[in-house]
Amino acid sequence: MCGITAFFAYRSTAAAPRREELEAITARMIPRGPDAGGTWISPDGRVGLGSRRLAIIDLSPEGTQPMWDSAGELAIVFNGEIYNYAELRASLERGGARFHSHTDTEVLLELYRRDGERMLGLLRGMFAFALWDTRSRRMFVARDPYGIKPLYLADDGGVIRIASEVKALLAGGVVSSAIDPAGAAGFFLNGSVPEPFTIRKDVRAIEAGTSFFIEEERGRVDARRYYSIAEVFARAADKHLVDAGVFVRERIDESVRHHLVSDVPVGIFLSAGIDSSALAQIAAKHTKLHSFTLSFQEHSEAPLAERFSNELGMAHTTRLVSPKEFLDDLPRIFERMDQPTIDGVNTWFISKAVHEAGVKVALSGVGGDELFGGYPSFKNIPRIVHYPRIAHLAARARRHPKAGQIPTHAGTYGRAYFLQRGLFFPDELPHILGEEAAREGIEQLALFDRVDAVLDPDPLTAFGRVATLEAALYMRNQLLRDADWASMAHSVEVRTPLVDAWLLRQLAPVLLGGNGKSVLGSTLPPYLRDRPKTGFFVPMKEWLDLRPDGTTTRMRSWARHVWEAFA
Amino acid sequence: MSIVFLVSDAYGGHGGIALFNRQFCEAIGVPVTVIPRVVRGEIRDVPPNVTFVAEAAKNPFAYLRALAAARRSKPELVICGHMNLLPVAFNRPLLVVHGFEAWKRRRASLHKCRGVISVSALTRDRLVGWSGYTGPTYVLPNAVRLEQYGIRPKRADLVERYRVAGKRLLLTVGRLDSAERSKGFDEVLEVMAGLPEDVVYMIAGGGNDFPRLQKKAADLGIAHRVIFTGLFDERDKPDLYNLADVYVMPSRGEGFGFVFLEAMACGLPVIGSKADGGREALRDGELGLLVDPESRAELRAAIVETLARGERRVPPGLDYFSFEKFAERSRAILDVTRSPAAQTR
Repeated sequence: MCGITAFFAYRSTAAAPRREELEAITARMIPRGPDAGGTWISPDGRVGLGSRRLAIIDLSPEGTQPMWDSAGELAIVFNGEIYNYAELRASLERGGARFHSHTDTEVLLELYRRDGERMLGLLRGMFAFALWDTRSRRMFVARDPYGIKPLYLADDGGVIRIASEVKALLAGGVVSSAIDPAGAAGFFLNGSVPEPFTIRKDVRAIEAGTSFFIEEERGRVDARRYYSIAEVFARAADKHLVDAGVFVRERIDESVRHHLVSDVPVGIFLSAGIDSSALAQIAAKHTKLHSFTLSFQEHSEAPLAERFSNELGMAHTTRLVSPKEFLDDLPRIFERMDQPTIDGVNTWFISKAVHEAGVKVALSGVGGDELFGGYPSFKNIPRIVHYPRIAHLAARARRHPKAGQIPTHAGTYGRAYFLQRGLFFPDELPHILGEEAAREGIEQLALFDRVDAVLDPDPLTAFGRVATLEAALYMRNQLLRDADWASMAHSVEVRTPLVDAWLLRQLAPVLLGGNGKSVLGSTLPPYLRDRPKTGFFVPMKEWLDLRPDGTTTRMRSWARHVWEAFA
Repeated sequence: MSIVFLVSDAYGGHGGIALFNRQFCEAIGVPVTVIPRVVRGEIRDVPPNVTFVAEAAKNPFAYLRALAAARRSKPELVICGHMNLLPVAFNRPLLVVHGFEAWKRRRASLHKCRGVISVSALTRDRLVGWSGYTGPTYVLPNAVRLEQYGIRPKRADLVERYRVAGKRLLLTVGRLDSAERSKGFDEVLEVMAGLPEDVVYMIAGGGNDFPRLQKKAADLGIAHRVIFTGLFDERDKPDLYNLADVYVMPSRGEGFGFVFLEAMACGLPVIGSKADGGREALRDGELGLLVDPESRAELRAAIVETLARGERRVPPGLDYFSFEKFAERSRAILDVTRSPAAQTR
């Protein structure tokens, strides 16, 4: 788990980046990896790699990056965890490969040597890496299927720079910090900047589940999408249902076990919700865990979480967060927030608590709602698409603030999804960003085309469509990205057993049957199982005195605060 | 000691459950009255300790008469060989579960059982998972008669018939059932295109899913590299295994996966599934490679790796499933079940 960077001056006419830039980019990511760091620049100066490392598997110096293979032909910088690395390593060793460390990083090198880009289908975990192949003078770059680990790129037509953070790329002093109107519009419409845009014009997100090579003179080539959530659901649509109950638990159990692979102690974010409680229950069977819960003067789930943690025999920390601490931390929150987002403060504080307890790794229940259809959108979106008139009347009767928008957003799953998740509407943007920036931003963003593109191939079922949209948009651009920056700011690695490409593939046929969530909660005590659903949120509205003023909701005024920190 | 064993089929039956029942009768070695629901084939090799009531399979009346007679004989122990027969089982039966039938929530009066024998830990866990059954459970995996298999040269007439001279052959044995589709045929077909041209795939077995699989092979452009044997003669089975280079079955619905034992007994390297009972037949990866049936990449890599090793041997660990061990376990279960402590629940 680390921060990584790489550059390749692929066009012979382009000037190579200076060492100072590489060092500055790497230094910006020290909180992501406080344990060690390293940079390497090729003798001809055309290729550079940099890394900051948070040591979790193989704590010895053998795990230092950039890492070379035994033959000295391949080098890699890698951010993430490969949970099935031991199996992969055994398979490579049977084929004659030799290893000099016990890291998952080295497994990637040997796997690339054996399978080339096909290696990606074998990786169970979260990852972003850049691998330099001296034999072909090509750089191989890839990001995990869900986009749990971030990776950004700036390509000026001669040099490609890559890093784990947008702000790290800017820290090198060469990449421009000009605002991208599409990124700005995307933020206000969604609450987070949608991939592949970023808030900076010259920086792009490398999309989740994709890979490419960088080649001399040609730049990015052989771009490939090797995993598509939509496709997983499409394939599952005609499969036979296995029974739900025990099968689902077995598969989740397996995923949790994989996510416990670690050479350091593991913690868990425990709210009193079903997802995190069920994870705690499963994980407690396999290892000693330390659970963490946030508590506020304004509201608290801590007593329930504490009780459950005690029943499971886990060490427990309840961390009280005061309004004063929030206001004191706010400048640092904005400093580490990589791109504008309306969320992430919760992860900031829980990660802070984990760090204070000396724990480096924590499980999170994020992704349960996307997997099991826990959001209201799973009911609402199909209704809006198929029965727009009824939905419109019903919303008006309840005086829902978005009721008036239903007729214009009812046509497709993409539009209906935006109606469900949107923060501001396109016609409101000129007031915030100004006429021209709003128009330009909306045009470049092509929001609805982009949302509809997520549904290609068509997942075929209503559940599959909504689950795909939630996972590829809200979870990827908001939840996972926020989990990354807010935890890494405290040098804590968040692991997400419910966000797992392998788990999704195994469960998809069952999920389409639609009763996974009840399975997850079925073994919890009634005081957790039968509670109404609450979010994992912080009482920001009380802290910032954010009041709805009639034209704007609380979240919307928080969004304006955040925006000021970036503009 | 008198035992009544209610079975779906045993002698004159095909498939894994019938085989298990025959093995079990032979293993316990004490007198047992076996009452079958169906008898399809020729009844052969009934051992001397077994009274096989074949006429019970003739019609429902005959079946009920056989049951009534068994009841009157006041047997010491009733063993119920299939969950579907539980409603007619009497006298606090000992239930045997095999796989899929016990995985799903269903009506079953498990409370009346004195114990449950399962062919795999997975099936037991799934049964306990949905039913909350708290009585005693015993795992009794299938046995393989090593002496009936063994490594043999490829039979020339089969090489000729299937045109596999100079080819490397992947093999799956199983029924092509359109209602089930859990053997993993689809998965193997889908990775074939990514394997070298000299690798061919043999699907050995008959069933109603054949037209679909054949069309799928054609759509994938690999029809010339896929062999469907259709129903084959049971006696050719060891030779079919010996024709192959790798046994691969990335299945999702096997209670145990007896075919893996047969393949290994012929010295074939095997690739099985992490997601069902095949995992136990492969002793959690000790006897063969395990893959996630949903991962084409993992399946392909496992096939490539296994083909590259190209070795043939009967793994020493296969001894775990020898008939002698099976017999020991069977008798131990009977001893425990009949002990006074077990009967006073």
